[in-house]
Amino acid sequence: MSAIGAKPAAGGSLDPKAAIIGIIILIIIIALAYVLVGASFAFMALIGIIIGGILIGFGVHFVPVGGAPAAMGQAPGIATGVAMLAAGAGLAGLFGGAWAYAAETPDLVVSVVTGAIGGGLMMAITCFFVTFIYVYGMGIPCASGKVLKDPLTGDTQPEYKSQGTEGHGLPFISWVGGVVGGLFGGAGGTLIYIMLLDVYKGALPGMMDAQAAQILPIAISLAGIFAVGMFLVNAVLAAYNITGTIEGPHDPKFKRFPRDIIASAVASAVCGIVAIMIVAM
Amino acid sequence: MDNIVFGIGITALAGALATVAGAAENTESDIGSQGDPNSQVQLAPQMGYLHRIFNKAVAGEPPAWGLWIALGAGISWAFMAMQINPILAIVLGCIVATLVQGVYATTAYLGRTASLAKFGQPVFVDILKSMTTVTMAHAFVAIFTTVTMCHLINSALGHPFPLPLLGLVWGIALGAAGSATGNPFYGKERQYQSQKFGAGVPIAASGNIVRYAEAGERNSLDNGWFTAKLAGPASGVCFGMIVFLEIWRTVLFEPIAAGWGAIVVGIILILIFAVIDRYAEVWARKNYGPYTAPKKEEASE
Repeated sequence: MSAIGAKPAAGGSLDPKAAIIGIIILIIIIALAYVLVGASFAFMALIGIIIGGILIGFGVHFVPVGGAPAAMGQAPGIATGVAMLAAGAGLAGLFGGAWAYAAETPDLVVSVVTGAIGGGLMMAITCFFVTFIYVYGMGIPCASGKVLKDPLTGDTQPEYKSQGTEGHGLPFISWVGGVVGGLFGGAGGTLIYIMLLDVYKGALPGMMDAQAAQILPIAISLAGIFAVGMFLVNAVLAAYNITGTIEGPHDPKFKRFPRDIIASAVASAVCGIVAIMIVAM
Repeated sequence: MDNIVFGIGITALAGALATVAGAAENTESDIGSQGDPNSQVQLAPQMGYLHRIFNKAVAGEPPAWGLWIALGAGISWAFMAMQINPILAIVLGCIVATLVQGVYATTAYLGRTASLAKFGQPVFVDILKSMTTVTMAHAFVAIFTTVTMCHLINSALGHPFPLPLLGLVWGIALGAAGSATGNPFYGKERQYQSQKFGAGVPIAASGNIVRYAEAGERNSLDNGWFTAKLAGPASGVCFGMIVFLEIWRTVLFEPIAAGWGAIVVGIILILIFAVIDRYAEVWARKNYGPYTAPKKEEASE
């Protein structure tokens, strides 16, 4: 039952046939969107949503997740599921990014960076408290099972691993990985939200024959719900790519991210075209 | 100026509510054995260790909390739209969400335990009767405080998201913070008290959880009592700091340099946490010493 038992082959190469099929589907969806809405803002929004989805999927690979083994001090990482933790961080970022975009003169870049920092800050605090519990609550030093030395600090790892385990806690490289994952997740989620919000703000007043101010709460709710949904889609896809546990960017499983980038791009394109077409058609 | 003082006051109140929410959330999940350590509770009968511990994890902890809090927030929102006083509306909404949590806890416990029938694990009706109400009480505290916090963020601070969406966002974040912070303490320190302190649980010991307490067989209320002393408060402070710092930097520094002020403060906060984390890591390495082949210093503990 343990995720440790099933040690996957390192890396996990890209299946060329599947990758080509994925890219073809992506091109078909983008071409379809271009035919349907032309080179309008809605088309650019779809491209933005695809980029946002890729950012989320890529970001999830940085987050150190140990699942159930981490909760027993059997494996390094945070004791929760990949999709859940990344979603928690990314949604905290989305909260900040959406708030920044509600300013009088909203700025896309400022809002996306604010979202990224929100996700990063959530992960920084959570990862610190994970270390706190391991060190001061359980009396366990942090040790990685995947590398001999921490790539950032140069600390040696194997002699701090207790017997019969794969390591435990969050070595500094995993802490940094968590924060970087939060940054990417927060930025991606906020980008998707803003793209959808602008499409809805533009299209809904005409569709519903109402003023822009009246339509704003509906546009925000719709964009927010779609952003949360797409966030979960991409986080779960990345979780399937990772399968079980990952320590962070130094883990061999991190090299699997190209597969997820293609999958996230296709999934975000499908979700994005649905989210845009409900108002743009 | 008044606006800023008002904003800081609301920020502090939201942070305090989040702290209570985090502590209650973790204690609820430890009593219900909902987070990742539940795999050991589920595994124990298969390894021949029957127990009297509640086991209610079906989906993950963050989505479950996202559901309950979004539900509480959504119903409160609907009541408020019917011109009911917000405090009463929030209490009523949270009661409904807590009832859903109670149904979830009951069916999850019965379903999970029934799946272990072939290993001889019985369903204890007294456990069901005594534990469910206690998890519901803790769930109510966590749901009520989080929904109130979301209401403050929405109505007093003017966040654009409607209440149910804020509930979903912060519910998932609450579950993520609680399951990341509090669960290892329950999973290792409580379930494996027979193991040496200061070391991880060997993979070979999986499922061999401690089943006896000072006075007879251990049940989940004992687990709640134990984890409430560190895992609960730590989860509470973790979630409280996330909420407080996120809102604080926005309220105070968002107007500076067209939004870049809040970003710079966020980066500084992340760097401060990096330094504290590194300090704790180095402290542990110095004080606990290497487990094998000490090169420079003796293992001190």
